[in-house]
Amino acid sequence: MNDPIIRIENITKQFGSLKALNGVTNYINRGEVVVIIGPSGSGKSTLLRTLNGLETVSDGKIFIDGVDIVDEKTNINKLRSEVGMVFQHFNLFNHKTALENIVMPQTVVLKRGRKEAEDVAHRLLDKVGIPEKAKSYPNQLSGGQQQRVAIARSLAMHPKIMLFDEATSALDPETVGGVLQLMKDLAMDGMTMAVVTHEMGFAREVADRVIFMDEGQILEESKPEDFFDNPKNSRTITFLSQIL
Amino acid sequence: MMDVIFAKWHVTISLMPFLLQGLLMTFKVSIFAITLGSTLGFVLGLLRTLGYRSLTGIIGLYLHIFRGSPYLVQLYIIYFVLPSLGIEFLNFDSFTAAIISLSLYTSSYVTEITTAAIYAVPKGQEEGARSCGMSKAEALFYVVLPQSLKMMIPPMASIYVVIIKSTAILSVIGISELTRQGEVAILRMPGDIMFVYCLIAVMYFIYCYPVLRFAKWAEGTFGSIGSVQDQES
Repeated sequence: MNDPIIRIENITKQFGSLKALNGVTNYINRGEVVVIIGPSGSGKSTLLRTLNGLETVSDGKIFIDGVDIVDEKTNINKLRSEVGMVFQHFNLFNHKTALENIVMPQTVVLKRGRKEAEDVAHRLLDKVGIPEKAKSYPNQLSGGQQQRVAIARSLAMHPKIMLFDEATSALDPETVGGVLQLMKDLAMDGMTMAVVTHEMGFAREVADRVIFMDEGQILEESKPEDFFDNPKNSRTITFLSQIL
Repeated sequence: MMDVIFAKWHVTISLMPFLLQGLLMTFKVSIFAITLGSTLGFVLGLLRTLGYRSLTGIIGLYLHIFRGSPYLVQLYIIYFVLPSLGIEFLNFDSFTAAIISLSLYTSSYVTEITTAAIYAVPKGQEEGARSCGMSKAEALFYVVLPQSLKMMIPPMASIYVVIIKSTAILSVIGISELTRQGEVAILRMPGDIMFVYCLIAVMYFIYCYPVLRFAKWAEGTFGSIGSVQDQES
């Protein structure tokens, strides 16, 4: 069981005088779903962004599938294509249709042919449940639909790991459920996932492990049933009592 | 009444070859300056967004110099002062001096427009591209620039109109563009000074108006996200 695809060794991240990450050490096993929760400003999004190199670390090491991504010699672009990321605000390419959003990274990064990339894109739009929106532009889609396209775009790169950075926080309440279900399906398929979220129901139901962060540190981690029913750290207890 | 109209018509006909020659020169100089200046400005504007501190500083100084001094003074320095330094390479003839000075002047505006347009694309667009594995250059080329270019078109067209009108200043270094030709014409027909200047103004207008219309059209067309895609495919 213990087969870490991600190893995080004592990383720190300094933004000016603020220590966003203060000595974080952890791991994520292959096929594991880890949910990271914590108050805003706790460093959870920063931690997630360091995992695909969108944020550099000030100190420490991160290994993805055995490759040290902090090392400057590592090809960080290749790594990013293996670590998919879904953002709170979708970040779809505004000048491209849903289909083109999924096709373009494949042709540019993976050098796939146009035909193959389009086949992949159509198949993924089917999978995320909006095949009829292929020709729509992002501004013609609802938040939930945009997030589905963003998930499909990431999946098209065949990532080994998917990172979700508050993927449902900017959605209308009625579209949250569908996107969470999609994430759940992915987890069921065996995708390795790190999920920053405020959806405690999702954490309880889908997570293999829950991590609680505050002030740039991991304060508690355990299986969801232990975490929610029997939290140990006093700050975890306070946080849970405020949101549940 | 008829004889006044007939007289003005006669003036127009006899001056038109010279004025058209002037307009052609104005056209030539402005096209050169716009092409060279836009290319230089675009490159500088792009370099400025890459975040190399010393480069950004140098480009900033360049912009301050060219945007913070009158074009006429820049023209005088390039045409009258530089050749006096005794360096063969800087000994420009008037046409070269006109093109160089106007291109540099144009580039200072285009640099600002390019930088602004690149920064106007939300940061998330680049992050989205990079999270898919694109390099910084690929993200810029495939995701950021296509969106910035669209935003650049309307302000660029406005600047072009300013540049076209600025060519009138070139008359002071003896470029026979439209205004210069007009001045020569007035020497020949001093009684029609008002009429000749009106003719000149109308000819500038005929050149500038389509550019302004284009700016307006571009704003409407490229403003909608759909049409850019249509043009690409």
